[in-house]
Amino acid sequence: MKRIALLLLVAACGGKYQAPPPVASIALPDGSQLNPYDSTKPGKARPQGMAAAAGRVYVTLSNQRDTDTFPVNAGPGFLAAFNPSSDKVTLIDLGGTDGHQCQNPGFVRASADGYLYSPCSGNFSGTDGARAIVEVDPLANVVTRRAAIPDGRVPNGVAATANKIWTGDAFTTTVFSIDRKTFAADPSAPVAVDCAKSKFSYVADVMTIRGDVYALCASDTSGELYRLDPDGGAIKSHTTVGPNPTELAGLDDGRIVVVNAGDNTLTVVTASGVTLSASKVLTFSSQTAALQDVRAFGRTVFTVASGSNTAQRIDLDAQGGPKVVAEANFGPGAGPYNILPLDDMQAIVSNRGTNSIAAANWVTVK
Amino acid sequence: MVAAPLAGAQEPGETIEVQGARPEGSARAPGTAATIIDIALFGGEVRSVAEMLSTAPGVSIHALGGPGQAATLSLRGASADESLVLLDGIPLQGPGGGAVDLSSIPATLLDRMVVSRGVLGAQFGAGALGGVLELLPRSARGTWAGGAEAAVGSFGTERLALDAAMPAGNGSAVVALQGDRTSGDFEYARQLTPEIPGAPFYGFTRENGDATRGSGLLRISQELGSDLGLDFLLQGSAGLRGLPGPSSAPTPHSREFDAAGTGGLRLRGSSGEVAWSLRASGRLDRSELRGVTAFGDCEDGTPDCPRQDQRSSSARAEGELALPAGDANTLRLLLAGGGEWVHGTTGAHRRGLFSAAVREDFALASGFWLHSALRLDRVGRQAGLSPAITAEWKPAPVHPLSLRAGWGLSFRTPTFTELYLERGGIAANPDLQPERAWSVDVGAEWRLALLTLSATALWSSYRQLILYQLFPPARVKPFNVGEARIAGVELQAVVPLPAHLLATLSYSFLDAVNRADGHKLAYRPPHRLFARLARRGERLEGYGEASFTSAIPRNAFDTAFVGSQLLLNAGVGVRAAGPLWIDVEAKNLLDKRTYEDLFQYPLPGLSIALIARARL
Repeated sequence: MKRIALLLLVAACGGKYQAPPPVASIALPDGSQLNPYDSTKPGKARPQGMAAAAGRVYVTLSNQRDTDTFPVNAGPGFLAAFNPSSDKVTLIDLGGTDGHQCQNPGFVRASADGYLYSPCSGNFSGTDGARAIVEVDPLANVVTRRAAIPDGRVPNGVAATANKIWTGDAFTTTVFSIDRKTFAADPSAPVAVDCAKSKFSYVADVMTIRGDVYALCASDTSGELYRLDPDGGAIKSHTTVGPNPTELAGLDDGRIVVVNAGDNTLTVVTASGVTLSASKVLTFSSQTAALQDVRAFGRTVFTVASGSNTAQRIDLDAQGGPKVVAEANFGPGAGPYNILPLDDMQAIVSNRGTNSIAAANWVTVK
Repeated sequence: MVAAPLAGAQEPGETIEVQGARPEGSARAPGTAATIIDIALFGGEVRSVAEMLSTAPGVSIHALGGPGQAATLSLRGASADESLVLLDGIPLQGPGGGAVDLSSIPATLLDRMVVSRGVLGAQFGAGALGGVLELLPRSARGTWAGGAEAAVGSFGTERLALDAAMPAGNGSAVVALQGDRTSGDFEYARQLTPEIPGAPFYGFTRENGDATRGSGLLRISQELGSDLGLDFLLQGSAGLRGLPGPSSAPTPHSREFDAAGTGGLRLRGSSGEVAWSLRASGRLDRSELRGVTAFGDCEDGTPDCPRQDQRSSSARAEGELALPAGDANTLRLLLAGGGEWVHGTTGAHRRGLFSAAVREDFALASGFWLHSALRLDRVGRQAGLSPAITAEWKPAPVHPLSLRAGWGLSFRTPTFTELYLERGGIAANPDLQPERAWSVDVGAEWRLALLTLSATALWSSYRQLILYQLFPPARVKPFNVGEARIAGVELQAVVPLPAHLLATLSYSFLDAVNRADGHKLAYRPPHRLFARLARRGERLEGYGEASFTSAIPRNAFDTAFVGSQLLLNAGVGVRAAGPLWIDVEAKNLLDKRTYEDLFQYPLPGLSIALIARARL
């Protein structure tokens, strides 16, 4: 009986599909190389935000350890510097002398004058000393300054202007600033950037675009993009985007794009004077899940979705309306979190799941 | 509504016994929209409880892909936590106090399943917002009887089941055992770049999808006197399986061990027209996760990879009394009390249970029946009343036409998981309040011998729905935020045809809407269609069936869907010698390897099984 069943089994399981192509990637340092607090419990790199500076690419390493509850910080936060064309990775320890002055860095952005800024969210309690904004000189690959965060706030997102470093709060819908001269939090009250919600809302990111600061409020049901004065934080205008927006990016032509993880859409925001207006221009396919990031190079838009392990290249000005013109997959479990365009065709992603950096191998529309 | 005719005999030499009055539904919920699934009608097929349930209208199954993997029940668009599952009248629960994993209940231990739909808290207790699944285990017959079934199939799937019924003392006993195992290593295909039209599919092999399970049932009935009887039930199941994870983020190291046991003792008697029963029952559940972390997997046994043990138990005692009230009316009273306990990843918690219920069945003039019920449930510190009323009308006692209408209102208390579980990306909310719902339905049925045609329209309203919401920075937490309404239609036809053929057709339409924003509720299939043609003869049997599920919303904004799915299955069997039947069954005849369930767990393509069974 078993023999017959095996024959039938063979008939039922013929190979119909080709194997998936391999994905080339740069492995990031594992936990033992990331100064773990307990050598028996090292973390994993868990890369997130990326920025280009001084001819290199910088990626934040959360350095977290999985547990049966919530991931915990296994060691100090790091920046990893590398050249995409080589495997060599240089580590920058953001944790200070005691290793506890920066944990869990999520974003990194470059200022116009060439410094890198990264907000460290700590353990999300809002009271630990590992919350900070750190300043890194990419020419020397060293931390130059560190700003402590007032209690009750958890920095999320970072926008560097001429005089201020702005960041959002992961627990409330406010943004606040660090003075670039004193490198201390401004005593002024945080600026409220609310959005309609059913249950939760927070600031997903802040970013400098064409001199102004933009703050993205995200909630379970909605999202709101705010345009703020770069010095005082006064609200100039705001517009509603999609639900649970995760990231924004500025295009060369002044348009701003926002990815909405809630409804799997892309919103284009245009500025007319001080007025912002938003329009949903693209709904991603049902298989594209957990949109995490959007970036632009010139007028080409790049998005990344960690749930489907994919990145997309989007032509906003395509005939018939914006459409995905190329897509890349980084393999099961990759969990791509951020994307960095190297030009209008090439991009790399930080894979939080597989602790690696991978180049997008695009499949294009024929 | 009755899906399956209660013509019990399927085996050679056994007399086909068409009983005088086919049960129309649950004895505890007369006048309710219900479907009876007779397990014997699936003889010669390797069927799980979930697969058999999916043949009924109003039912959808949430399965985590592949044989042996978790599957939960959704009735009329309600969540698995909002649908009660009873084994011989004893409520089952998962280890966290919520949804029951149907894969842990072997089908061959059962005689029948009764699916009752609607808000049925008044009839069955708090929690029955979508309906109730009653699992009726094999019953003894008072004479020696027994059967055996062995099956082997694709993906290393094997099953062995044995059962025996026998006289015992002044009554009877039945014992049934079932063992299942599968490698679960099927091939599936995915588009890696789904945004690109015509992008190729690539092939993958499912890893860590194996499952092994053993189950047993013992049921003893003793007559202690002319009007006194004692029933004993013991059922247990234990299994070990891989938790392969979704195709986008596989978890090759995650495993789960589970074990569950249910026991019950019932003393029943009658005195004149008064009938009574006293019952004590208990249940133990355990689930241990190995190699599971918040957002992935880990190597079991390594320092940072503790096993996560979750246990729950319950015990209850109840008394029921049925007594005449007037010439043609019956009054039924119920009083129950007990407790339930959990400890493990939820922490240690307990809560008391108390219920008091009354039901009266009125026979009115001109063929009208009225069934009213009222039940008080107290679960921990939360209490509520569940009223219900159903009405039936038949032009004449033996007329094929019947019309019915029902209304019910009830509540569901939060599960221990919702209240206390802090694990992975899940946050607890001990402040949760009960969900509340009411529903109304109307239906018509035409029943003539084995022919059944029925149609039901339903409307349900839910408030204080407990929904998991994103909880920054990266967790989800349950809140009482949902307001929903669900409308629908359920159609069913069971049509006997010449040459021992029986055609079954069921269709369900659901329009489930979030009242807050008008969007469709995620994970509710708007359309489900099931069609089956089966033949049961003395020497030849077989079936062919088609199951279609329309695209299902996968997010809360009507912008992401699980694609529609069509599954074709077929089987054929012959009586090889004496009582021995040999069957071959093929599932997913189209060999669609691209199907996934709601949570991106791939589903197997074509699978073939060879089944040998004998019944004496």
